[in-house]
Amino acid sequence: MKQDQQVNGCGISKGQRWNAGCVILLSLLLCSCAPSHSNRIVIGSKNFTESLMLGELLAQQIEAHTNAKVERRFYLAGTYICQQAILSGRIDLYPEYTGTALTAILKQKVGSDRAEVYQRVRSEYETRLGLTLGPPLGFNNTFAMEIRGTDARRLGLKTLSQAAAFAPQWRPGFGYEFMERPDGYAGLAAAYGLRFAAPPRIMDLGLLAPALKDHQIDIAAGNATDGLIPVLDLFVLEDDRHYFPPYEAVAVIRQQALQEHPEIAQAMAELRDKISDQEMRQLNYALDGQHRDAKDVAHDFLRSKGLVH
Amino acid sequence: MGTDFTDSPAIEFRDVAYVLPNGQPLLSGLNLKVQRGETLVLLGRSGSGKTTTLKLINRLLAPAGGVVFVNGASTGNGDVIRLRRSIGYVIQEVGLFPHYTVERNIGLVPRVEGWPAPRIQQRVEDLLQMVGLESQIATRYPHQLSGGQRQRVGVARALAADPAILLMDEPFGALDAITRDQLQREFLSLQQRLNKTVVFVTHDLREALRLGSRIALMEAGKLVTVLSPTEFLRSTDPLAAAYVQAFGDRLDSVTNRGAS
Amino acid sequence: MNLLHFFWQNHDQIMELTLEHLWLVGISTLLAVLVGIPLGIVSAHWPVWNKPVLGTANIIQTIPSLALFGFLLPVPWLGDRADRLAILALTLYALLPVIRNTYTGIRGVDPAVVEAGRGMGLTDGQLLFHVELPLAVSVILSGVRVAVVVSVGLATIAAAIGAGGLGEFIFRGLAMVNNQLILAGAIPAAVLALSADFGLGWLEKRLRP
Repeated sequence: MKQDQQVNGCGISKGQRWNAGCVILLSLLLCSCAPSHSNRIVIGSKNFTESLMLGELLAQQIEAHTNAKVERRFYLAGTYICQQAILSGRIDLYPEYTGTALTAILKQKVGSDRAEVYQRVRSEYETRLGLTLGPPLGFNNTFAMEIRGTDARRLGLKTLSQAAAFAPQWRPGFGYEFMERPDGYAGLAAAYGLRFAAPPRIMDLGLLAPALKDHQIDIAAGNATDGLIPVLDLFVLEDDRHYFPPYEAVAVIRQQALQEHPEIAQAMAELRDKISDQEMRQLNYALDGQHRDAKDVAHDFLRSKGLVH
Repeated sequence: MGTDFTDSPAIEFRDVAYVLPNGQPLLSGLNLKVQRGETLVLLGRSGSGKTTTLKLINRLLAPAGGVVFVNGASTGNGDVIRLRRSIGYVIQEVGLFPHYTVERNIGLVPRVEGWPAPRIQQRVEDLLQMVGLESQIATRYPHQLSGGQRQRVGVARALAADPAILLMDEPFGALDAITRDQLQREFLSLQQRLNKTVVFVTHDLREALRLGSRIALMEAGKLVTVLSPTEFLRSTDPLAAAYVQAFGDRLDSVTNRGAS
Repeated sequence: MNLLHFFWQNHDQIMELTLEHLWLVGISTLLAVLVGIPLGIVSAHWPVWNKPVLGTANIIQTIPSLALFGFLLPVPWLGDRADRLAILALTLYALLPVIRNTYTGIRGVDPAVVEAGRGMGLTDGQLLFHVELPLAVSVILSGVRVAVVVSVGLATIAAAIGAGGLGEFIFRGLAMVNNQLILAGAIPAAVLALSADFGLGWLEKRLRP
């Protein structure tokens, strides 16, 4: 009886068992050569300029405080993707906005008090999701009602309440999202009693600022940290009735990453309130308008704040 | 002749009827007794119902009416699996398991029955010898064997658990004349040794005359007559006579039945 | 920086995403096999189940993958974690080839062999495990091979909903207009698919009875 014809109970020959065993062994080997996660810190970001900028800032700040390797996983396509990535441990940290966290992730209604929103997000994240919130970075990227700087100075306007008086003479321009959201145009008009000369022109966000400059529209709903605001001499009216929800930028951190790398906490603490609205606009413009490299811009900024050398 | 006519038949058909899946009746009013130790040949044309009759014995088919008794017990009661394991089954296509060696083919039922490996090994060796195959063949695969060798393995496999009854459905039909002749001869000597109760289906009168202790002639789902080979040759039954005439001068005399 | 240099520089991340990809494909294929083979066996032995089982699997296949991911997003528990969702979707897509090939493989077994086995007194279970499955294994494996290759491709799309894997490189590369990043995702994915195809094809040949 030939040796290699020996068979076992289910018709699988010895040769076939060897093959199967090799395959299993190989797979296990493959799994074991995964780069060890505990000595790396992975930073994610969404795929628009501001998020990239913040991601790079966070990354360099942490690099200055840790010996671990810092990896960047930027350009993740949106809030949900980032959330999934951090929950599954594929990233350890990414920049988020308190308002977005509250509505898109926690699916709750957002109030208007900055501190209250921050606290609510922070406690829900800690208890329900195992995530920690870093301190606010300093700016509030909420909706911004923009008018031309010339008009602001000429009419002596500072707040939205003051501007409401002139609304009947103005043509507004808004993005699609602002028109659709219940906490967008509809609520704003109600909060301030706005009545415009004509129905709003709906256009792409990127086209709003030039349209404003060219007098095609007189007031636009943009983002507070738009890089073009200082460059095109646009003025952001103050939301004195606190209609718009707060969108404070914060770092979201995996609790496990904090445990493995406690130096992250220190790094984040140093960033508290370090970036003002105006400074964020400048950073955005440096990337979008001047096409500078994000790494250089981040490095210069951190150096100017005395955070790195 | 070595046949043992005791009182209780090994197999009995009592008023058995069978209906095809499409509703067409095939067998009706079938009454037949198979004595222990005899070789009963079911002879008939294709469509006469002989294979169906065979399959009713090991309950591969179930009767629509009447009862089939094996060793005194109805095939409808009790464990079908036990029934089939006590009956050897050999078919024309042989149906060897292509992924098993000859020894695994033969040893499958013993293995499933829980025989210890050494006993199985011994049994395989014995059976190979019995069917006239060298023991080296044990490690070959079916596709490496000739048609005659395959059918010998088929017979060995059917005999593995030493069943008292053997069912054979035109087992030599696909073989060439010389091999067929050889296997028929070996069947006769094996039967003399083992004394199994055999039910053998064929459409070939020569084979029937040579191998059978009795011939049951079937036509259109009915049993026409059951005769010994000598009686068959002299029979005045029109169908039997037609058979004898059809095979004409190709028939050898009855005495050329090998060991008898 | 040329492509090779780029791959070397980022080999950690490439390795990590490749493993994520393998995880998605591996688990979903395993599930498809655990569910699909029994379903294939059922539809082969009880033809009345053939139409509903194969029909359902067929319908699932016709749903565009990105749409299926989208449908499942709002589902509680599933939508909470993108990798769960992706694994479910990938499993569903892998079912058809597995079921269909199991059905074909078992029906393709020589009826004489099955008859001999049954006549010998093998139970249905013994017939299945000792005869039908071993004889059908090569065809079934061919179905698994198709499932794996398709899954590798679909898993790249799963990155669009946040499940990770090599597709993430592709999407990020598209957003950054960075070809090297795109290739860092596309090339390993293609290599995975080709290796699986080749490897399983070799195994198929060896297991052919």
